[in-house]
Amino acid sequence: MAEIGRLAVCLALMCAAFSVLASIGGALRRRADLVRSGEHAAYATWALVVVAVVLLLRALLARDFAIEYVAAYSSSTLPTNYTVAALWGGQKGSLLFWTFMLTTFTTVVGIQNRERNRELMPWVTATLMVVATFFLALVTFITDPFERLPVAATEGSDLNPLLQNYWMMIHPPSLYTGFVSASVPFAFAIAALATGRLGDQWIRTTRRWALFSWFFLTLGNLFGAMWAYEVLGWGGYWAWDPVENAAFMPWLVSTAYLHSVMIQEKKDMLRVWNMVLVLLTFSLTIFGTFLTRSGVISSVHSFTQSGLGPFFIGFLLAVLLVSGGLIVWRLPELRTKGTIESFLSREAAFLFNNLILVGIAFAVFWGTVFPVISEWVRGVKITVGPPFFNRVNAPLGIALLFLMGVGPVIAWRRATPKNLRRAFVGPVASGLVAALLLVVAGVPFGGAWLTFALGIFVLGTIWQEFWRGMRARQAMLHESAPRALTRVVGKNRRRYGGYVVHVGIVAMFIGIAASSAFQIEVRETLEPGQEMTAGRYRLRYERIDSSEDGHVSRLAAVVSVFVGDRQIATLHPEKRFYKKPRQPTTEVSKRTTLREDLYLVLGSFDPETRIVTLLAYVNPLVVWIWIGGLILTLGTAIAVWPGALEQRVVAADPRAAGAAERV
Amino acid sequence: VRLLVGAVLAASLLGLPAFADAPSQQEIEESLTCQCGCGLTVHSCNHLQCPSGEPMKAEIRRRLEAGETKETILAAFAATYGEKVLSAPTMRGFNWLAWITPFAAVLLAGGVLVVVVRRRVGQNAGGAPEPPAAEGPDAELRARLRRELDAMDREP
Repeated sequence: MAEIGRLAVCLALMCAAFSVLASIGGALRRRADLVRSGEHAAYATWALVVVAVVLLLRALLARDFAIEYVAAYSSSTLPTNYTVAALWGGQKGSLLFWTFMLTTFTTVVGIQNRERNRELMPWVTATLMVVATFFLALVTFITDPFERLPVAATEGSDLNPLLQNYWMMIHPPSLYTGFVSASVPFAFAIAALATGRLGDQWIRTTRRWALFSWFFLTLGNLFGAMWAYEVLGWGGYWAWDPVENAAFMPWLVSTAYLHSVMIQEKKDMLRVWNMVLVLLTFSLTIFGTFLTRSGVISSVHSFTQSGLGPFFIGFLLAVLLVSGGLIVWRLPELRTKGTIESFLSREAAFLFNNLILVGIAFAVFWGTVFPVISEWVRGVKITVGPPFFNRVNAPLGIALLFLMGVGPVIAWRRATPKNLRRAFVGPVASGLVAALLLVVAGVPFGGAWLTFALGIFVLGTIWQEFWRGMRARQAMLHESAPRALTRVVGKNRRRYGGYVVHVGIVAMFIGIAASSAFQIEVRETLEPGQEMTAGRYRLRYERIDSSEDGHVSRLAAVVSVFVGDRQIATLHPEKRFYKKPRQPTTEVSKRTTLREDLYLVLGSFDPETRIVTLLAYVNPLVVWIWIGGLILTLGTAIAVWPGALEQRVVAADPRAAGAAERV
Repeated sequence: VRLLVGAVLAASLLGLPAFADAPSQQEIEESLTCQCGCGLTVHSCNHLQCPSGEPMKAEIRRRLEAGETKETILAAFAATYGEKVLSAPTMRGFNWLAWITPFAAVLLAGGVLVVVVRRRVGQNAGGAPEPPAAEGPDAELRARLRRELDAMDREP
């Protein structure tokens, strides 16, 4: 079976390379048969990659330890769900999985555009297949997942215990989906540059893909944070590790694009800038993969380091050179006559929003690579860790929050004093009242206080938008409040979906600010029956329970939690000792409420005296970060759902869909 | 623009530590990187009896009890382990670049943005004509959208 898998990968590489040549040849010679042939070769590439993925999955589930990858990342005792997750748990498998997703998206794009965008499609197919060719070449020549061991192993080394968590089933596929789908807008941008069709056709076509990619990047980052929170056991969820940064940077640039593209659609401005953002987002996904694979910057997340760095950096340089060259070549045609009439306008607010988002992305990039720069220049290794990123990004983040309140409600073109009063008096007043109430409630002046007050200001602007839209419909059409609200959202899903997304982001800001500024941390060494206090909680260590199976042995402290004299919960923080490889992990036990998380970690345990060291964290409002993610999901769903008008137009004439999408 | 710059500056100032406070154990632990390979700060590393983090925490405690300042303690660790033990670059020499560059880049780009926008605003004030409205079904849809949005935005 391994040989068939390898053969499938080799054939897929050939198909992908043929697809590139046929698509470009067809485009240049204007031969539709060649273009179709290129598309069919892309479909064949996908089918062959599916065969390879299925065979690798089969080898993992059959515990075929004759295959090096299976022996390295699974074992006979590894539960089935983690055995499936081992497909992306190691480098060789994850590159194959990446290729699978890329070719899947290519196939979907091909099917979506069988009758549309025919001028762009050869270049779209060629671009996507160039990326696929690169990954398939790596899988074929350097990281063969079907490589056989000289002598079959009797047992596997097992998946890294830190990866044996249910988030392993969710986080990497989400992040990969976000990373890989960023290739689609990139491919359309390249196609637009190659063909000179630089209007907003490519933007309309890729709008949902850009949102799809951004959404999964958001989820990927959020799931990663939840995973870190539950597994690493240090009371936090974001450590500004290089690999976390690698996932965060494309999200920031993609967010900037989703905002600036609205100006292009509305005012036909920023064509060059939007091209740059799309190309940068894709380049940052490759840069992120380079960071994860190269080991050039040490990271707690680099489970799959190897010598692939030079290949990725070479590919990245090629991408930057080609796409940058294309932009320079098309620069005269990309320039538009659209203009900004005033600083007090939505266009200007969006431009400054872009400045801050890309500024944060640059700050993260700079902090991530600065250790390498320092070593080159001074020959001295340094660390750039959380204190740097927090200090640099906090003010930029607060400025972004402020703009999130301004951008969506300030008038297009030029805001008059009357517009400004109408848009901002209520929200500014609510922000000021909130700021005052927070002081009265004892919240100290600082970043968190400012974040809460600005958050209320932003929520005020959003509330006002919903309220006014609903009241207008009620006044004109005499609808009930729920019906008017539903209709006003349904009539302009993109706008109101965006507002809901902003509510989710505000919730995240508030959760991050509160849990960073007001975290309580207590560490105590206790004998059975002894108590400790963390915030308003009284914690009594009762005993240690132990259990064992063939895969892992567990020690769980039983801790009774009291508020006053009332017992409200029993928590079980654990230490697990995996047998293959012999490695301990921490299993956090927590009690989550809307107000705060009580988060317990078993630090150490003495088997003779049964004395334990417990770490207790009280993390205020942390759950609002995850709730923010749910709200954001709802907002994205509203924004991408096709409106009734668009559905009618698509049903009548698929080619006219673009015009309806614009509405 | 002034509001934006003001917000950034205010937030920067609010983010600064209180200079008068005595350093806390946690503050210093967060300023040092654990050397066990976990990649986290000494404060965040929770490896079971970590061979690096635990002795470092004990040494910080001892030095604080002896009345040493944060700077002295960090300098002592840097002398022992090298500069890489510090969890953020120092604000000296070449390392200044790490701190200044992001803000300089944002300010520079912001400055360029202001100049470009101001020039365009000036051009517009000089009587640049409005671009002609697009024609065809797309324009009709836009006009319909504008009517509906205007209707929704109107005060009841």
